[in-house]
Amino acid sequence: MTPPLLEATDLTKVFRLKSGLFGKRASHTAVNAVNLELAHRERIGVVGESGSGKSTLGRLLLGLTPPTLGEVRYKGKSHAQRRSRDWMAFRKQTSLVQQSPQAALNPQMSVGNQVAEPVLVHKVGNRNEALARAAAILERVGLSSGLMNRFPHQLSGGQRQRVVMARALILEPELVIFDEAVSALDVSVQAQVVAQLRSLWQELDLAYVFITHDLRIVRHVVDRIAVMYLGRILETGDIKSVYEWPRHPYTRALLASVPTMDPRIRNVRPPIQGELDIAKLSQGCAFRSRCPFAIDKCAAEIPPLREVGNQQVACHRAEEMTPAATAQMETA
Amino acid sequence: MTCYAIARILPRGVAQTGGTVAFNWEPQGPAKEAQPRTAMIFQDSTSSLNPVHTIGHYLESSLYRHQGLRGNDARLEAMRLLERVGIDQAKSRLRCYPHQFSGGMNQRVMIAHALSVKPALLIADEPTTALDVTTQAQILYLLEELKSETGMALLIVSHDLGVISRLADRAAVMYCGKIVETAPIDVLVERAAHPYAHALIDCMPTVDPKDMEPPTPIPGSVPLLNNLPSGCHFHPRCPRATQECEARFPEVASISADHQAACYHPVHA
Repeated sequence: MTPPLLEATDLTKVFRLKSGLFGKRASHTAVNAVNLELAHRERIGVVGESGSGKSTLGRLLLGLTPPTLGEVRYKGKSHAQRRSRDWMAFRKQTSLVQQSPQAALNPQMSVGNQVAEPVLVHKVGNRNEALARAAAILERVGLSSGLMNRFPHQLSGGQRQRVVMARALILEPELVIFDEAVSALDVSVQAQVVAQLRSLWQELDLAYVFITHDLRIVRHVVDRIAVMYLGRILETGDIKSVYEWPRHPYTRALLASVPTMDPRIRNVRPPIQGELDIAKLSQGCAFRSRCPFAIDKCAAEIPPLREVGNQQVACHRAEEMTPAATAQMETA
Repeated sequence: MTCYAIARILPRGVAQTGGTVAFNWEPQGPAKEAQPRTAMIFQDSTSSLNPVHTIGHYLESSLYRHQGLRGNDARLEAMRLLERVGIDQAKSRLRCYPHQFSGGMNQRVMIAHALSVKPALLIADEPTTALDVTTQAQILYLLEELKSETGMALLIVSHDLGVISRLADRAAVMYCGKIVETAPIDVLVERAAHPYAHALIDCMPTVDPKDMEPPTPIPGSVPLLNNLPSGCHFHPRCPRATQECEARFPEVASISADHQAACYHPVHA
């Protein structure tokens, strides 16, 4: 059996926080024992609130930051075993699209030169070939190659985001991490970028991880979704199962928080109160302080990720979360 | 920009070149004579707050200016406002600085500050765009509660029709500086007349598991304001455009008593 394209086992990242000269050494576990597998051409979405560790997870997967525990394997080879030449080969096959295109682009470099740069860095072709490839990839992401001589400040937000996408895709990578790639865009521009990404995926040999807090967009660009909360995956499954029947109370709350285009729905109590609090990560389920269904067991034991129905859920009460039962519990 | 003009806070170098803003049927004076009964909250709450002042200073100075409260009275009122917008431990929070708060909490502080004016009109410019969905749901609920509690009017600006549907009774769709359609919100989402309004609704993604179709994008992009297309500014992107649309900007026409649109070829006519 061929190994999966990307495989993360028990991935953990702890950040040490300094707190004053004599202060106690505090630490924050941004990613906590995450297991993730990505097959060739598979598309997975990672969703969660800010502070849930989803961006750190993306950086760990690409080896941009070393894990505290656990390992990441790409095509069967662990990041920890890579020497510098292996890293170059890995970088050629992977790329990252970050949230703010404004910050990701060099303001002093023309669009053409920036998009062409990976070709030169990886010595895939000479300058002319690089520029020709840049023009071709710009057309493929739906931009005119006439933008080659423009500078980032002359472009709109949606155009800039597509330039960043073009740069990430110019070497036809096998793995891309999209970190909040469409979150800063207006809905109409978002819809354009999503349509573009869907058609590009059809043409390319590409697997990707789509990190976002936007539950409305993510389901149109991925096959599978993982919901993160304080560094842990609480629920994962294929899009259809999770959206039709979310088994974890947190997933339910996230979905219920999205405002619908139905003006008859008014005065809806927010499904969960408070914000995610890194200080409350002691023992038991990390979500229990905000969970309407929490019981004593939730404070005592960390629920493991286990198979329930069509998905994997980390909740002691996952079996009880039928649509009818939860509606009853919520009104009670 | 329209909101800045209404709130009399146009940036330097920009002037209102025509028209008037009437408030309770009384035309308002020029800028600088700020209206005491209008408040505004912004998209990026953290950068809207002065980082060198405490939350307490921020609220108390506004209470002094608009309600003449000072000292202990101002502090008590500031605490009451913070509690009202859902920030607990209000007493100790007054000594905090904006960087110690999350984006959601800073947005609550902005709302508390707006309430210190006892506004008759609250202008909310993309109030939840930068927030997580869970925080967004909390802020929307807070705004709904405050609206019914104080009876203030709310002018909410957003590109998210979900947010508009939750808070607004009536909606105006703007494109390139012009209002192209106004209607009660339920009429708008069900029977939008202007092709642009229609396209905006079509490109709104949902979480409904039954609706698996990806959002339909609007072709092209918003033109630059110094290079607007002739006639109806939307015509180069509009599937229904004809030569007429290219020649003249359509007059605003009534579809029903409270539904107007500026289009030669409305969708549901």
